[in-house]
Amino acid sequence: MRPAKKETVNGRAFPSTGGVAGKPAGRQAERPGSRDVLEFLIIGGCFVALAPLLRAHRVTDFMIFCIFTLSFDLLYGYMGRLSFGHLLFLGAGAYGAGLFLRHVTSNPLLAILLGMSVACLLAMIVGLVTVRATGACFALINLAFNQTGWFLVMSPLRKVTGGQDGFGVEAARLGWIDFGDAAFRFWFVLVILLLMFFLLKRLMRSPYGILVRSIKEDETRVRFLGYNTYLYKWITFVISASVAGLSGALTALNYGYVNPNTMDVHKNVGAVFACLIGGAGHLYGALVGGVVYMIISNFLPVYIRRWEMFLGAALLVVVFRFRRGIWGSLEPCLSRAAAGGRLRTPPDKGALVK
Amino acid sequence: MIYTLMYGLTIGAILYFISVGLSLTFGTMRVTNFAHTITYTIGVYLLIALVQQAKVSYLWAAVLSVLAVVPLGYLIERFIIRRLYGESLDYTFIATFAVSLIGVDVVKWMWGVQPKALGDPIRKYVDLVGFPFPVYRLLIVIIAILLFLALQILMKRTMVGKIILAALEDRERVRCLGIKLDKYFSFAFILGSALAALGGVLYAPLTSVHPYMGTTILLLCFAVVIVGGMGNLKGTFLAAFALGMVIAVTARYWPPGAETMVFVVMAIVLMLRPIDV
Repeated sequence: MRPAKKETVNGRAFPSTGGVAGKPAGRQAERPGSRDVLEFLIIGGCFVALAPLLRAHRVTDFMIFCIFTLSFDLLYGYMGRLSFGHLLFLGAGAYGAGLFLRHVTSNPLLAILLGMSVACLLAMIVGLVTVRATGACFALINLAFNQTGWFLVMSPLRKVTGGQDGFGVEAARLGWIDFGDAAFRFWFVLVILLLMFFLLKRLMRSPYGILVRSIKEDETRVRFLGYNTYLYKWITFVISASVAGLSGALTALNYGYVNPNTMDVHKNVGAVFACLIGGAGHLYGALVGGVVYMIISNFLPVYIRRWEMFLGAALLVVVFRFRRGIWGSLEPCLSRAAAGGRLRTPPDKGALVK
Repeated sequence: MIYTLMYGLTIGAILYFISVGLSLTFGTMRVTNFAHTITYTIGVYLLIALVQQAKVSYLWAAVLSVLAVVPLGYLIERFIIRRLYGESLDYTFIATFAVSLIGVDVVKWMWGVQPKALGDPIRKYVDLVGFPFPVYRLLIVIIAILLFLALQILMKRTMVGKIILAALEDRERVRCLGIKLDKYFSFAFILGSALAALGGVLYAPLTSVHPYMGTTILLLCFAVVIVGGMGNLKGTFLAAFALGMVIAVTARYWPPGAETMVFVVMAIVLMLRPIDV
């Protein structure tokens, strides 16, 4: 569960230890382009290849869930804060975008931005309280906020939000931007997913990202180094919530309706499972886990009626036997292959964080 | 007003039955136990099966279903909880949540998803300051108070209780005295599971029974345990009744907000005094 890019991180912080495979440290900074483009092609290619196999509209779903998983991974995988109420921000994004489309203007792009900012604002306020907590307390206090949000949507704001039934959303057509068209939605979400992936990867490679990971390892020590960990945790929380809000806004546009199911507390287990099975603390892991979870939850119920039992059993196996997840297990092999076998595996690789 | 009071006390009593186990498990083993819902839900469903299908009398059905849950509690403790000692809370959270996921699905498999109902088994009313009040609810409150006293005696007067109480304070020091704590932890866990089942069995006639009932009430019980202080048995008792009253009062003046108010209280308590785990 250690961060994958540790050697690069160390390489940058202490150039004397050398970079990847003997190349000078800070290689990434010199040539940012080529490797990112390759990654983009691979990730985008995977989703495009999935589209004819599983129907495009379903893959759009997968990608929206992957955006959500990325945001959850930022919080859980990188900062080590398990939240049981992250769907609140997805719901905030969905309702923000949906209500904006319904009552103000039917410009879809503005609606997405607004959905994001609603989630961001909400996280700024909620984060002030929740970020102080750790461990079980953090998970539970988020859960409490999620429940409160769900309740607000269901009861006092029923006239606005439509209560249990939710409401329909229609986006206007702006030239070639047409959210009524499934193919456009697919490509649009794909571009957004790649963009988010790129931004978050950049962010996690930056000194800020290193600090966030250090907070996961030992917060007290980071604080003693003179950093204001509260501020950094708050910023991470807000960023994560905004990305979740983005995926919520996309959900609203994709389905054409918003209902309280988007923020059902029980669905949060999906994000946890996706993060763990993919490998928490890797952005690729979040993508792999998101797709795996969506495949399981979309196709297993068709063949097995008791699929939740299977999901629970799979979670147990992951927790007890397979904590590194799919990407966490693949990654050492891949990076060794990429370095032509010259890369020495760091001794702490795969050590379990307790 | 007296209705609100009694309603609050009943809810508080039920919350107390379920929270005690959570509080014990957390205090002794540092495990946040989501799987607690399972014994509760399965206890309730066994009761319904016994009463409605096997035509056993309510009292015997209640006793039998509470007893039947004990081995289940043992299995969960032996194979899941015991392996999570000393793990980070994230993993215990996820693992026990997975267990509850499996359990809910088993219940759905065996008994279906349709809500069931069980009538008031006593159907008598007692005169309380001029208002007729169901005896059954009164009985629940009395049992809760008796249980509290019994637990106090168990904890303060017997060796088992004293060791558990000491482990709540400082596990390492108790271990250093050469006491094998695992046995006592299992006992505390199984006791908690059985009490959860008891709470479920007592609550079943007053509510509609469905597979997700455990999850809903467990969230409230986490709030109780947090407000009362994790591992603090007296605090849990007081918090359960206090939050029961919060639910009852909110339900009287603003029905939809009843359960959410509990979370508001919990959030305030967590803000004022965060748990350091």
